[in-house]
Amino acid sequence: MTNSTITATIDKILNQTEKSILSDISSELSNSRQKLDDSVSKLEAEYDKIIADGKKEADKIEKQIVGGSDIEARNKQLLALESSVNRVFATALEQITNSDRNSDYANLINSLLEESTQILGTTEVKVFTNSKDRDTVQSALSRFPGSELSSENIDCIGGVKLESKVGSMKFDNTIDAKIDRLKPLIRKEIASKFGVNE
Amino acid sequence: MTAQGRIVWVSGPAVRADGMADAKMYETVTVGNSKLVGEVIRLTGDVAFIQVYESTSGLKPGEPVVGTGNPLSVLLGPGIIGQLYDGIQRPLRELSKASGSFIGKGITTTPVDMVKTYHFVPVASNGDDVLPGNVIGTVQETDLIEHSIMVPPNHPGGKISNIVSEGDYNLETELATAEKDGQNVPLKMYHKWPVRKPRPYLKRYDATVPLITGQRVIDTFFPIAKGGTGSIPGAFGTGKTVTLHQIAKWADSQVVVYIGCGERGNEMTEVLVEFPHLKDPRSGKPLMDRTVLVANTSNMPVAAREASIYTGVTIAEYYRDMGKDVVLVADSTSRWAEALREMSGRLEEMPAEEGYPSYLASRLAEFYERAGRVRASGSPDRDGSVTLIGAVSPSGGDFTEPVTTHTMRFIKTFWALDAKLAYSRHYPSINWMNSYSGYLADIAKWWSENISEDWFAIRNEAYGILQREDTLKEIVKLLGPDALPDEEKLILEIARMVKIGLLQQNSFDDVDTYCSAEKQFKLLKLIVDFYKLGQQSLKEGTQLSAIRELPVVPSILKARMDIKDDEMPKLDKLESDMKEQFKNISGVKVTN
Amino acid sequence: MTDKGGIQYSNIAEIKGPLVVVDDVDNAAFDELVEIETIEGERRLGKVLEVGNGKAIVQVFEGTTGLSISGTSAKFVGKVMEMPVSKDVLGRVFDGLGRPKDGLPDPIADKFIDINGEPMNPEQREYPKDFIQTGVSVIDGLVTLVRGQKLPIFSGSGMSHNLLAAQIARQASVVGTNDDFAVVFAAIGVQYSEAEYFRKSLEESGALKRSVLFLNTADDPAIERIITPRVALTVAEYLAFDLGMHVLVILTDMTNYAEALREISAAREEVPGRKGYPGYLYTDLSTIYERAGKLNGRKGSVTQIPILSMPSDDITHPIPDLTGYITEGQIVVGRDLFRQGVYPPINILMSLSRLMKDGIGEGSTREDHAEVANQVYDAYSRAQEVRALAGIVGKAGLTEIDLKYMDVGDVFEKEFLTQATDENRTIEETLAILWKIVSKLPKNEITKIKDKFVDKYYQGE
Repeated sequence: MTNSTITATIDKILNQTEKSILSDISSELSNSRQKLDDSVSKLEAEYDKIIADGKKEADKIEKQIVGGSDIEARNKQLLALESSVNRVFATALEQITNSDRNSDYANLINSLLEESTQILGTTEVKVFTNSKDRDTVQSALSRFPGSELSSENIDCIGGVKLESKVGSMKFDNTIDAKIDRLKPLIRKEIASKFGVNE
Repeated sequence: MTAQGRIVWVSGPAVRADGMADAKMYETVTVGNSKLVGEVIRLTGDVAFIQVYESTSGLKPGEPVVGTGNPLSVLLGPGIIGQLYDGIQRPLRELSKASGSFIGKGITTTPVDMVKTYHFVPVASNGDDVLPGNVIGTVQETDLIEHSIMVPPNHPGGKISNIVSEGDYNLETELATAEKDGQNVPLKMYHKWPVRKPRPYLKRYDATVPLITGQRVIDTFFPIAKGGTGSIPGAFGTGKTVTLHQIAKWADSQVVVYIGCGERGNEMTEVLVEFPHLKDPRSGKPLMDRTVLVANTSNMPVAAREASIYTGVTIAEYYRDMGKDVVLVADSTSRWAEALREMSGRLEEMPAEEGYPSYLASRLAEFYERAGRVRASGSPDRDGSVTLIGAVSPSGGDFTEPVTTHTMRFIKTFWALDAKLAYSRHYPSINWMNSYSGYLADIAKWWSENISEDWFAIRNEAYGILQREDTLKEIVKLLGPDALPDEEKLILEIARMVKIGLLQQNSFDDVDTYCSAEKQFKLLKLIVDFYKLGQQSLKEGTQLSAIRELPVVPSILKARMDIKDDEMPKLDKLESDMKEQFKNISGVKVTN
Repeated sequence: MTDKGGIQYSNIAEIKGPLVVVDDVDNAAFDELVEIETIEGERRLGKVLEVGNGKAIVQVFEGTTGLSISGTSAKFVGKVMEMPVSKDVLGRVFDGLGRPKDGLPDPIADKFIDINGEPMNPEQREYPKDFIQTGVSVIDGLVTLVRGQKLPIFSGSGMSHNLLAAQIARQASVVGTNDDFAVVFAAIGVQYSEAEYFRKSLEESGALKRSVLFLNTADDPAIERIITPRVALTVAEYLAFDLGMHVLVILTDMTNYAEALREISAAREEVPGRKGYPGYLYTDLSTIYERAGKLNGRKGSVTQIPILSMPSDDITHPIPDLTGYITEGQIVVGRDLFRQGVYPPINILMSLSRLMKDGIGEGSTREDHAEVANQVYDAYSRAQEVRALAGIVGKAGLTEIDLKYMDVGDVFEKEFLTQATDENRTIEETLAILWKIVSKLPKNEITKIKDKFVDKYYQGE
């Protein structure tokens, strides 16, 4: 199947530098050159701030080590690092949530649907999405015979959730689920940007 | 036409595949996308039941199963000696090159190096008419092993042509062709043979030559013959493995096949580390030059454990066919039986005792039946033997469990290991009251001809002392040692000497680890003579304590460690010291 | 690890014991990790035991309590169970499935490792022969532990096995080399107080920052215990073979592990072996114990001390029995000695270290070690016989030499065996006491020691 834009994002996050990760997240989702430049600079600024905060926190804790036990300090460092990493994710998610639902986003939805129906082995599915993505999903569904959009809205950032009409299979392909699956894999990359775990 | 099916069900090492109508029983197949090795063990309609020799973790229904058309076979040719194989003859050294320190899946290698050259010396000439089994030439496989290149048993034979001249060739070289009924079939240094099919031979002999293991309790009291069968059952901690290692090290055979079947990984490592440094007591060459290891440790896939026994015995038969004496040690047949039980359970067969399949006994019988001393097929005349020694690990040390009881029906030497002896550090902990050898009378002639005419009588006398002691101990337990007259107390004392000075043997002591047949006899005679002298001395009024405290006693007891095999005069000196000391306490001349 | 999601199946055919049978499954693999979601949205983990013909049998680690046929769904995750590892797992506390239990985030993974491990290639093993000084005389002198060994403690309920294991963990960790040392502790269904005792003991000795703890206590889900030793050993292997540390793994109590295995076997209606335990118990235990060892060309080692309580102190019970066939010896805690107040109450006659012979002697402990140890074993065994005899005929009926053996038995138990929990003896001190015991005997009773050593070390008349 054609690579979905989100999967490309994931690969790049894994492999590329901080800068390109950030630019790619935005490029996948906004896909507008104009907007890309805006958000990158905005995000980069924010990102730098997070990193600076994280480093400051780490330095502070390092000082606390003197007199305290190593392990306590290490644990505090882990917590500080974790909150910094979480803030990177939160920022990224926010970017996605606020991105425009334009034609490239429609391509993303289409590839998410393609991936899901292939895994489920049928296009006889009921599709769930959030209120914001309804229209994009509805128009994409014409390419999937037997599919139907549920009237029910689900709570998610974007993407789709599928349920087979026959049988009892579900497949969650929301962007939330994608990020969740990706999170453990890229935490190391993000953490290393904070100068930890190298 | 080879079978091409699809997996429909996976549970542990067991896989069912459909679309397998073309598969044959015991055919090897590749299973799944990662091409695991498996074997068909049941066919129902077009569904094949397959046991998989590698980990099935991650295998899915729908993945392909492809037949190879061949039954599970081993490759037989030079290069086998010194190898460490897994249960299906994959060299573990090669596997580590592919997958590192841990064993990966789906790796294919050849069992021996196919491009290594050996110096071939032909003995057949063009125009010779050869039959299966005929030797066409030899190569020197290791310093210890001259390897006969034979016409394979499944080769039609015929008239030799195009035989190569003496020189260096690799395994794939066509050494000659044999023409029969207009068909030319090439002969190479190797051939393949299915593991579950015993290799043919011309005729079988009685087993009358003892296998000298250098272990006193075995050779002197419970001997095994070349071509015989033996079993060594024992609870954990009784020293099974050490005893088997001792046999593998010191037995006077030309080839040793050691199968670690479902046992500890470190035990195989120990053999690998130790054997290259140990010297064969007869040739002075490293023991690894005559040893083949087959290792399917307890944590390796269970189905390959089942195959490892057959892989090992087929290799043993191959060297037997060259006219060599081969000892095969299998540790442990209980783990093999458990593998059978596990597969049987997955097949949902009706279980017999303790969940073992009803065919356990017949499988054991088939295995032990592959032992024997034989005249090999073909010319020249070659006599070889396969001696099979299987360890049994009875659960809870209980000898009434199915594997032990069935094994006892098919073997002739039984070395019963005893936890109580092991707890008191009496090693080897072979219990002299429960063990037996069915070869004693057959091999007595060999001892009589080669060591001493008195061997059988003296051996029986010593064994008699142990039996008397066993009865007397019961009395002592009830009434204390003072209830016995001095003559009987002397028996207790002599039995102690037999136990410490003869039965016990320290495998970790450089001298004691191996004891030549001659030294065994001299030690035995020394103690039996001590008994006779002691009896006489008591009759003449000597105190028992005076006999017990003779300075020669500790020397006799330590002779097994202190006197080397090439220092027999020292034992003779000990004998004269003993006579002298008895003379002194009795004050009368002792006649012999 | 993969970012591909798995399908969620909600056609649950059957729930029995710890198993869930899922119908209409066409894309699951054997051994695959499964996420079970309850009707309330709670997530539990499980794995595929059997798959085929549209059916998957899933074993749920956290138990099936509260699951219903309708509303429960099973997601096949597309990978086997993995443990995230990094050097930052040191000093951490995890639950029985390897999830943080100390309020800290998931470790930032350097790697994700299949918790089942792969069998070590016997050809790549390095034969263990490095002496570990534990400072406990009975172990160092008579049941010597070496790096890469698996040496279990066979005990019974209520006895001092945990005290001993903790003492070994503390003292073995301080023997000075520059090599990094770590302790991995897995509590498998033990009481909270026992697990806490270990934690405190490590903390007080300053070893906590070099330790990783996995806790499945008595009130945690039973089936989780199948996983606990595996995640612990996965971390141990990583520390040993990726980071080059010498890792001591303590698994307590393996009896609880075997019981969890029996529960699953019973639910699958398999033909049971002895005492209801599955026929594959031996093979299954070996996939845990055989993960001890050393590897060629790698610095670290994994040494295992599994602890198991023998039901009714019965050493022939399947759990100790099959364990003993796999491990390289055993340390047996004796009820009689324990009752007499001896610590550590080790029954040396039933105890054994198979790798001792390679770990001792000239260059590691001392030239005479093997022989003096043999003689003491022999003498103590004789002492027990004499004690039994004295019970029948009275002390008056004993010979002079018998009385000397009685003496040997007393000195052995009071001076050699008995030791304080914070007493750390050197190997020289231990050997000196062994010779003191041997010296209670006249020279002609010494049949297991070469004359040259007797001449050098014997102190009797």
